[in-house]
Order: sequence, then structure tokens, then C-alpha cells
Amino acid sequence: MTKLPSDRIVGALCLLAAALIAIEARTFTVSFLTDPIGPKALPFLVAVLFAVAGGSLLARPQPEPSWPSRTIWLRGGMVVSSLALYASILPFLGFFVSTTLEVTVLALLFKGPPVKSVAAAVAYSGVLYLLFVYVFGLPLPVGSLFVGGN
Amino acid sequence: MEALAQLLGGFAVALQPLNLVVAFLGVLIGTVVGMLPGIGPINAIAVLIPITFASGMPPESALILLAGIYYGSQFGNSISTILLNVPGTASAVVTALDGHAMTKLGRAGPALAMSAIASFVGGTLSVFGLVLFAPALAGWAIRFGPAEYVALMIFAFSALSSLTGGSVPKALLATGMGLFLATVGIDPHSAVPRFTFGQLKLLDGMDFVVVTVGLFAVSEVLQVLEETEQGQAVVTPFGRVRIRMQELVSTAWTMIRGSISGFFIGVLPGAGGTIASFVAYATEQRLVDREGTFGKGDIRGVAAPEAANNAAATGAMIPMLTLGVPGSGTTAVLLGALIGLNITPGPLLIQHNPEVFWGLAASMYIGNAFLLLLNLPLIGIFVRVLTVPRWFLLPAVAALSFIAVYAVNQSPFDLILMAGFGLLGYFLRKLRIPLAPIILGLVLGPLVEKNLRRALALSGGDWRVLFSSPLAIGLWAVAALSLLLPVLLSRAATARGAIASTSEPD
Repeated sequence: MTKLPSDRIVGALCLLAAALIAIEARTFTVSFLTDPIGPKALPFLVAVLFAVAGGSLLARPQPEPSWPSRTIWLRGGMVVSSLALYASILPFLGFFVSTTLEVTVLALLFKGPPVKSVAAAVAYSGVLYLLFVYVFGLPLPVGSLFVGGN
Repeated sequence: MEALAQLLGGFAVALQPLNLVVAFLGVLIGTVVGMLPGIGPINAIAVLIPITFASGMPPESALILLAGIYYGSQFGNSISTILLNVPGTASAVVTALDGHAMTKLGRAGPALAMSAIASFVGGTLSVFGLVLFAPALAGWAIRFGPAEYVALMIFAFSALSSLTGGSVPKALLATGMGLFLATVGIDPHSAVPRFTFGQLKLLDGMDFVVVTVGLFAVSEVLQVLEETEQGQAVVTPFGRVRIRMQELVSTAWTMIRGSISGFFIGVLPGAGGTIASFVAYATEQRLVDREGTFGKGDIRGVAAPEAANNAAATGAMIPMLTLGVPGSGTTAVLLGALIGLNITPGPLLIQHNPEVFWGLAASMYIGNAFLLLLNLPLIGIFVRVLTVPRWFLLPAVAALSFIAVYAVNQSPFDLILMAGFGLLGYFLRKLRIPLAPIILGLVLGPLVEKNLRRALALSGGDWRVLFSSPLAIGLWAVAALSLLLPVLLSRAATARGAIASTSEPD
């Protein structure tokens, strides 16, 4: 089975990105003259960098990286989606509960023993919450579920 | 001597109780993160930046803490290298040659002691260089106009792209990504929103802490997930960490030479500890390796790279502090921290914020003394960190990352961005696209743009202004040369064995 080299895919994506950046940058117009080159110049330079790098990767791809097995992809995907989920439950459940859940999930994905993983998660979340809120004075969300209304 | 009086003033700052505590904490955290493969100083510094902001400590204390992590990590990275043959960062790769060979010969104790002492020598000697050369460089750079700054920053980009040892197109791509991220948000000069796609939350732009934590820390978690199959490290007992006087005397010149060359290589953008340690090792091999014992457990093969990479870490602070132009990922993160603390690094930093510069310099002596203490008598305690299971360690890294990212804007949206950058960082690592140029591009992007636009405003849109002074032309020339250098070198040095290009930047 012949596969497309990863670098060629990246190269093609870079060329696409270069085109999109350049098209979008054309809309950065100012009605009055602030300076001779305006807000377009750096984005155009970025588009050129993407195009040069993309063209070069397309023309001369390097050896294929070692992509992980399907089970690893699955676990990696679970890590990333759990992070996104964490961000969405954080305002509702607050730092302590959300972080305990998330750290438990992560520890289990790293093949931690179940009971110890939960214990570690509770300990981390509790210690970090107390440390940051009371020692460093950093506001962490309590959770709208517990405060009610707000 | 004026510098001496200033340095004494710096000690008055560094010896304040808070600054002693943060210097100690900094080097302690640095040693631990340097030792653990993967969790590099960039992760630790990026995570701690919002925390230092929130705690409201003065800028000099924040810098003492963050810089402590940076140079402390140079101590720690040799521990896992020597004991496990797993370099914490790329700058310890050469230390593995003789350091791990000594472990196999049952001489891990002397190897660890040598590495701690050489790191101390490199760390302290290079502070002399910092005190001596930084004010001089600042005095010279004060004449830089916008055109020179543009050329200088392009030099920093090209040097970092070419000297990391990987593919130049990939490094250029990474630089482009960083510059692209820097343009997201409202353009401060014309108030035009760029690449925000109607998202209100993107108007303020990408916070470099969110990007850095995502790219480095979260992608690291994903990377380690893949390695968990390989099981846990087992550290063999190594007895007492001590060294014979005779061995110390025999390595004195090796350490001094390594410190000097390492310092100057560190000042150059892009080069950093990795190249410094390679150069020092190769030099010593040529100068003192008469019996051909290098690579077979020669203690001088540990002393040279360790002195050099610590000296390089100090050297790398000079362009960051006095020009405002960092040459590596870690110093770019430090620059971002300083800007966040309302300190403007550049030629005027030493005059405007003497407590920051001299306080930092003095604290580096103190920090290095702490490091020697931590690494000689207490190393046995430290090494246990290496045996902490991954399932226990990595979730803690993740939890700290959440707090850091949340602290930036108190916004869960940033956590989603962080997760996205984590995934991106994982793919980039796999594809061997370096991450450090992204951070450099992100941090320097606004400065490049500001100076470019200022230069062209002064010239009325004439692009020749960028090449109008001999200094600017010289900087453009070295920038171009540094991009061509890898091509020329790779033709000459294919036989000499490839420099490890996969490890994380220092």
C-alpha cells in the first residue's frame, strides 16, 4: 500500500494556508493612511513564508515519521476531547470538581491504578485549589452549580 | 570599577528574603524539570508566568524565579542523562557519551559530582561575562534605529531556523506560524481586526502563555502517552556523590575553556546550549584526549559540555535583556514574561530598571550556589523524582497547565485553545517541525511589525531604508549567511555523524 508522504500533505496544506492568508489579508484596508505599508504587510510576509516552506516540502519530502498505533490515537483523542470537555464544564462545576474528574481521566489514560488515580486527583485538585486561591490569591471558578444563579 | 558597585547593589536586591526564596524555588523547580525527560524549562516557565503575575511579586523577583528555572534546568538535565542515558534536553546529549559510560563503569557518583561542579563553574564564570558585556552591548545598541532592529530580528529568526539542526523549510514554516499567530487580533496601529473570523474572544490576540502551554506542555502529555508502554525507569543505586581532588584539578582548564566558549556561543542567536556543549566536547577531545578515552567514561567528557551549556544559558540572556531580541525558545518565553511585567527589555533596561538587571545577575551567583548544594549532598532525594510513575506525574503537569492558562484571562475559551494547540504541537513534533521558532515568531512578531512600519513611515515607504546603514547591511548579510550555512555544512560534515535534531530545544 503506497501512502502519500506526510510532508507532501503538510506542504499542500501550507500552500493552501498561504493562499487563504493572502486572500484574507487583502481585506485589511484602512480608510485613512496610518503608515505606508499598513496592516497587510506582515500577513503577506507570512503568506510568502508558508508558500516557500510548503513548496519546498512538496518538492522534497523527508522520511516518514513514525505514526503511533490506532490504540494510541484513540487514547490521545480521548485526552484532547476530555480537555475540551473540561473547559466546558469548568464554569458550571467549578475548579475542584472539574479538575478532579479530568485528572482522574488523565491518570487512568496513563494506566494508573483506578483507586489511586481517584485519590491522586482529589489530592491534586484540593491542594492546588487551596494553594492558588488562598496563598497566591488567584481566583479559580467555584462553579455556578454551587453558587446558584450567578 | 563601576560595574562592581552596581553588582553590589544587585546583591542588595538578590539578598532580600523574598528574592532568596524565589531564587531557591526557581533552581529547585529547574533541577526537577531539567531532570525529567520531556518536561522542559519552557513548560515550567510558561506555566509559572501567569502565576507570578497573579501573585503580584515585583518584576525582579519574577525574573529571578523564571531565570532560576532556566539555568537550574541545565543542572538537572545531566542527571537523567548520566543515570539513564535519557537527556532531559538537547543540550545534555553530549554529556551522555562519557556520563553514561561512567555509570556503566560503576562511576555514576563521580560523574554526577563532576557534572554539578562543572555546571557551577560554567554558571558562575559566565555571570562575569554577563556583568561585563551586557552593559557594553546595551551602550552600543542604543544607536539602533528601526531598520537595524528589523534586520537584527530577521537574523534571530534565520539563526534559530538554521542552527536547530533540522530541516530549514520546516523551521521557516514554524517561524511563519509564530508570526501568523502574532497578527491575530486587533492591529494596534490601525485598529483593523485581523484573522479573528468574527470571534470576539480573538480580538485581543493570542496570548503567548496559552500558545506555549498548549504547544509544549499539552503536546508533551500526548507524546508521553505513546511512551507509557515502555514502562518505568529504574535507577540503579550510585553510592556517594563525590569526586577526588586530583580529578577536579585535572578538569580545571577543561571547565574554564568550556565556560568561555559556551558563553560566547550562547550569546549568538539560535546556537544555545546544544551547540555550545558539542563545540566544548569536540575542542577538549582535540586538546586533551591523548589516550583516546573520550566516549569511554572520561570525566573530562562530562566536565566540558556541562560547563559549556550552563555558560551558554547565561550568555543567551544577554541579547534578550539588552537588545530585546531573544535567540531561543526559552529566552523568548522569558522576554514575553518581562513584557507582561511592564519591563521593556532593550538597551535602556539596565538604566531604567537597574534592580532587574543587577538583581538578576547577583541572584545567579546565589542560585548557582543553591544548585551546588542541591546537586551534591541532596541529589539522592532528587533522583527519586525520576521513579515517580507517569500516571501520577503527567496529570499534575496538566492540572498546573489548566490553572496557568485559566489565570491569563479567567476564560474557559483559552482552555479550548490550549487543547487545540496541544494537538497541533503533537503533530508538529511528529513531523519534526521545531516548536521554538513558533514561540520566537509569536513574541517577536509585534516588535518586527512595529519597527518595520516605523522604518517605512520614516522613509515614506521606501524599502531601501532597511539596507541604508552599514550595520543593517551587515546584519542582513549574516542572516542570509546563517540560512545558507546548514547547506554548506551538511556537504562538509555528512561523515561526521548527525547531531541529534529530535530533542526539545533548550
